[in-house]
Amino acid sequence: MIAPLLRSAALGLALAGPALAADPSLDLVGPLSDYKIFVAENTAQLVTDAEAFAAAIKAGDLDRAKALFAPTRTSYERVEPIAELFSDLDVSIDARADDYEKAEQDPGFTGFHRIEYGLWSEGTTKGLEGHADRLLADIRELDGRITALTFPPEVVVGGAAVLMEEVAATKISGEENRYSRTDLWDFDANFEGAEKIYTLFRPLIAEDEADFVAKVDGNFQAVKDVLAKYETPEGGFVSYEELSDTDRNILSAKVNTLAEDLATLRGKLGLG
Amino acid sequence: MTHTPSRAGLGLAVAAAAMLAVTGGAAFWYATQRNAAANPEARADMTVTVGAETCDPQDITVPGGNRSFQIVNASDRPIEWEILNGVMVVAERENIAPGFRQTLTVQLAPGEYAITCGLLSNPRGTLHVTPSDEAMVAASEVTLRKFLGPLSEYRVYLVMESARAVKAAEALRDAIAAGDLAAAQAAWKAARIPYRHIEPLASRLADLENAIDPNAAYLAGQEDDPGFTGYHRLEYGLFGQNSTEGLGPVADRLVADLADLSGRLKGMTLDPALLIALPGAMAGQLATAHVPVGENRHAGNDLEELQASLDGIGKLTGLLRPVLAGVDPALEGDIAAAQDKAEQDLAGLRQGGAWPSYDQVPGDKRQALAGSLAALQTALDRMQPVIGIN
Repeated sequence: MIAPLLRSAALGLALAGPALAADPSLDLVGPLSDYKIFVAENTAQLVTDAEAFAAAIKAGDLDRAKALFAPTRTSYERVEPIAELFSDLDVSIDARADDYEKAEQDPGFTGFHRIEYGLWSEGTTKGLEGHADRLLADIRELDGRITALTFPPEVVVGGAAVLMEEVAATKISGEENRYSRTDLWDFDANFEGAEKIYTLFRPLIAEDEADFVAKVDGNFQAVKDVLAKYETPEGGFVSYEELSDTDRNILSAKVNTLAEDLATLRGKLGLG
Repeated sequence: MTHTPSRAGLGLAVAAAAMLAVTGGAAFWYATQRNAAANPEARADMTVTVGAETCDPQDITVPGGNRSFQIVNASDRPIEWEILNGVMVVAERENIAPGFRQTLTVQLAPGEYAITCGLLSNPRGTLHVTPSDEAMVAASEVTLRKFLGPLSEYRVYLVMESARAVKAAEALRDAIAAGDLAAAQAAWKAARIPYRHIEPLASRLADLENAIDPNAAYLAGQEDDPGFTGYHRLEYGLFGQNSTEGLGPVADRLVADLADLSGRLKGMTLDPALLIALPGAMAGQLATAHVPVGENRHAGNDLEELQASLDGIGKLTGLLRPVLAGVDPALEGDIAAAQDKAEQDLAGLRQGGAWPSYDQVPGDKRQALAGSLAALQTALDRMQPVIGIN
């Protein structure tokens, strides 16, 4: 079991070869702008979803608020490389309790995960009304700022690896949605976000980097195959606790490889 | 948001890492070696140690240019380290484990930045980047790479605004089909705005331009010419004849032509020379044609449309000015001043918070506005020799 894995890893690296030190080309303009349109569609959806999420909290509808938590987050998770460029909003929308001195009890703890803590750990919408208003206002602000932003090309292309590195370094541990166990929704959205970037730029390298794209294609497919086993009929995902150790290991290995490989995209496209 | 796993989460992460050490150890070793070769820590310009509550040093001064920072995590929790320009993240290193170090290399322009130091509640440090020859050379170099962001952003603008133009024309078509004259007149004015935004490029597609935006004055048969189609044919019916009658097919054709335009703009290859040429040419067209004689002789809403045109020019100059600023700051200042002057001249024509009909704008005011637009063109046309590249 171990030997073939080692061999394929070594083979993949050998075939990947040195990154091409190409100058960037005007061909990047199409995929770069298509990516911004993708991000704009996601933040528009995020605003719509956050409105419904906030309304459920303010109506005191605990079940509905819990049901809307994970799907609302997906539009944020897909575009995180851009969203997290705005440090103030990233903190107020998506910080974890660990980032604060007093953890869950810290008055600075706001956003998705503060609401998640209330809905699941405290089992009530009471006291979350202000957090819901703030989250919605922050998301509207984010949508406006992203519309006005000229996307830095290296951030866009580098974003695919950033998403995978983040999953590999922390999210695979299940730290993100620790109260709700909806981590697989976020993973799926992170993979979609990374794959979108990769797919947009893939035609520019496919001819010269046939082995590279075959390997990356295969790893994205492997991730999809694993995640598909945990999808629910309604289009969501089961609790992260149901992920088997074997599948967690496969995901972890694939995401590490994807992070390594996708980190070479900038160089291949002359944006190193 | 990037994060700092809970203690329980850390356990899982360690387990995952242990698993990887077995299955992917060789790959990891190889990758680590490659990373080490790419980012030799010994070459870092500055070492920053992040403790439980502060960075050491907390206040950093470096010369502008390509700078590297070695970040040492001396706290007992994973950290991310960021360089911030206001609220914007300029560069970051995520997930540095306790006891570990990582190197971050970043191109820094002179200015004042903040650095994060662990917990969100910890005080931020400062990063003072001083002017240097290296930073000046980096800013004054004109490279294709510097145009990629502006070109991409302009393509997004073309796609978004041309989609809005199609939607607005559909609303106009529907109002005409319903025979609602007042609604159709309002819809016509609204439909012109997104078209004016993209006109700098749209007007260069001659075949579509002749179908979408012909002016009766340039046609042999004037208003009765069979070639009189598009926006102004609808304007003539809605405002000149005060009727929606017979306009249905004209509106249908306009919607189809705008959809065609949208597809063509999306497929166009944009390059730096084109981007640089567009705003000056548009300002010149306004100065010599639209402003002196007016364009919407029946609707009279020219001033509102001129504002939309200035917004379209502003989109272009807003994208080009950052490229220009490092090369010729004086010219960038001239363009900003010329644009402000044109905006102010136009705004000065408002009456009681609304745009008057264009026939109420006297000749001397038109002349003054045309003059400021011509001056804007002159300033904009100076860009090509300065930042134009092939």
